[in-house]
Amino acid sequence: MSKTRSFLRKFLLIDIFQGLLITLKYYFSSKVTIQYPEEVQPPPERFKGLLRLYRDEAGEPLCIACKACQRICPTDCFDIEGERREGARRMWPTRFNWKLDRCTSCGLCVEVCPTDAIRHSDAFRMTSLSRGPLLFHHPEMYLTGEELQKYFCGGCLR
Amino acid sequence: MTAQTLLFELLIPVAKIIAVILYPMIMVIVMIWLERRVVAWIQGRVGPNRVGFQGILQPTADALKLFFKEDIIQREADAFLFNISPHLVMFSSLLAFCFVPLGESFRIGGYTLNLWVASSPVGLLLVLGLSAVGVFGIIFGGWASNSKYPLMGALRSVVQVLSYEIPIGLTVLTVVFFSRSIDLVEIVNHQQHGKIWFGFMLPVSFIVFWISGIAETNRAPFDLPEAESELVAGYHTEYSGMKFAYFYIAEYTHMVLVSSLVVILFFGGWLPPFPNARFFSFLHWIPGFVWYLIKIMFFLYVYVWIRATLPRYRFDALIKLAWKWFVPLSMANFFVVVALKYLL
Repeated sequence: MSKTRSFLRKFLLIDIFQGLLITLKYYFSSKVTIQYPEEVQPPPERFKGLLRLYRDEAGEPLCIACKACQRICPTDCFDIEGERREGARRMWPTRFNWKLDRCTSCGLCVEVCPTDAIRHSDAFRMTSLSRGPLLFHHPEMYLTGEELQKYFCGGCLR
Repeated sequence: MTAQTLLFELLIPVAKIIAVILYPMIMVIVMIWLERRVVAWIQGRVGPNRVGFQGILQPTADALKLFFKEDIIQREADAFLFNISPHLVMFSSLLAFCFVPLGESFRIGGYTLNLWVASSPVGLLLVLGLSAVGVFGIIFGGWASNSKYPLMGALRSVVQVLSYEIPIGLTVLTVVFFSRSIDLVEIVNHQQHGKIWFGFMLPVSFIVFWISGIAETNRAPFDLPEAESELVAGYHTEYSGMKFAYFYIAEYTHMVLVSSLVVILFFGGWLPPFPNARFFSFLHWIPGFVWYLIKIMFFLYVYVWIRATLPRYRFDALIKLAWKWFVPLSMANFFVVVALKYLL
């Protein structure tokens, strides 16, 4: 019985028509493609994107120029100088150079930072038209979102 | 020479020849785009949608890229056969379109415009023969490349051509038996006078012809000569630039040709549905070649649909399918059809 049935299924092409119906169903399914430059998939929560510096609530830099990141960086990305202002108990960074083209996103600087000043952001688009923007200076370490993209390649957002 | 004779003897034939080259090319462009989009949709992707409206210019852009690519000939290759085989494939599938009618004859004033370049009383044989010549291009190209993957592709092509040509011949025989002609125009006219299209009258013939036609065009699931997961790219592995494009275009042209043949032989060519029923006579207002294009596009769509659905046949499974099933089946089909015709 089952032998005749399987023969008939093959002979009458029933299996093939079933397969065709399945693909027809998928033809009308929703598509998973994300059209990249126009729509961007938000990165996951713990995504290790570009490094950036943060400020505290008063707008002062969290960075105290302790150079812990500079010491631990395996690829020697940082070049930091700091100064102590009159009567202050902490230091302010006067120079904070970060070389993106050397960074391997290992995250050691984030781990070692005593004030949580340097953290991974979720920015991952780092296309630039020249190598200039790949060297971050102190003010540029605070850029986010659109401003960061404008800094990279003149604001075409691609 | 008067203006009228100039028009009828020179300009119209030249226009027809240009049309018969342009028509398959446009169909190829549409077909490459359609295939990529449809397969992408079935696989849950979007497919090319950037170049031109919804990606319709993508095949043109690809062809332009191939046009500027370097034309590489291997040092060990047989240069003559290597160079001639893409042209052989392209030429044979384009030449076959001369004998394929694209629609019914128009009467403009006193002049009858036939929508075919050459009408031959043996049109069907010519088309089948020319589409078989294209296989020689594949075999020559695979052999002349002097490389193992193309050679394997060529060998597979030889076996494939031996497998599918016989069922095709036997199924075409049933159609010819009813229409009493191997003129493609006559076959369509016969379906107009007859009550029913051959595809519904001879379903076994149609299905065997269609499956063999897929094998003839080297399409999935019978794309053994160019099985990219096994043979890199099969017979055209060593080709680059415009010669590769010729193989590529010829494959799609061949698909259009086989779809045209299926439509002409089994689904009434340019006839609208129910050509004789008075109730559906309004369908005659749509010109014949529009009906014809709709039917061809349907079968081309089915080509793509099948490709997106079925996995590739194994080499021996194809031979087994053709020789142990299609040949006896189409033979039995022919005898049953003949017996029924004379008994009833």
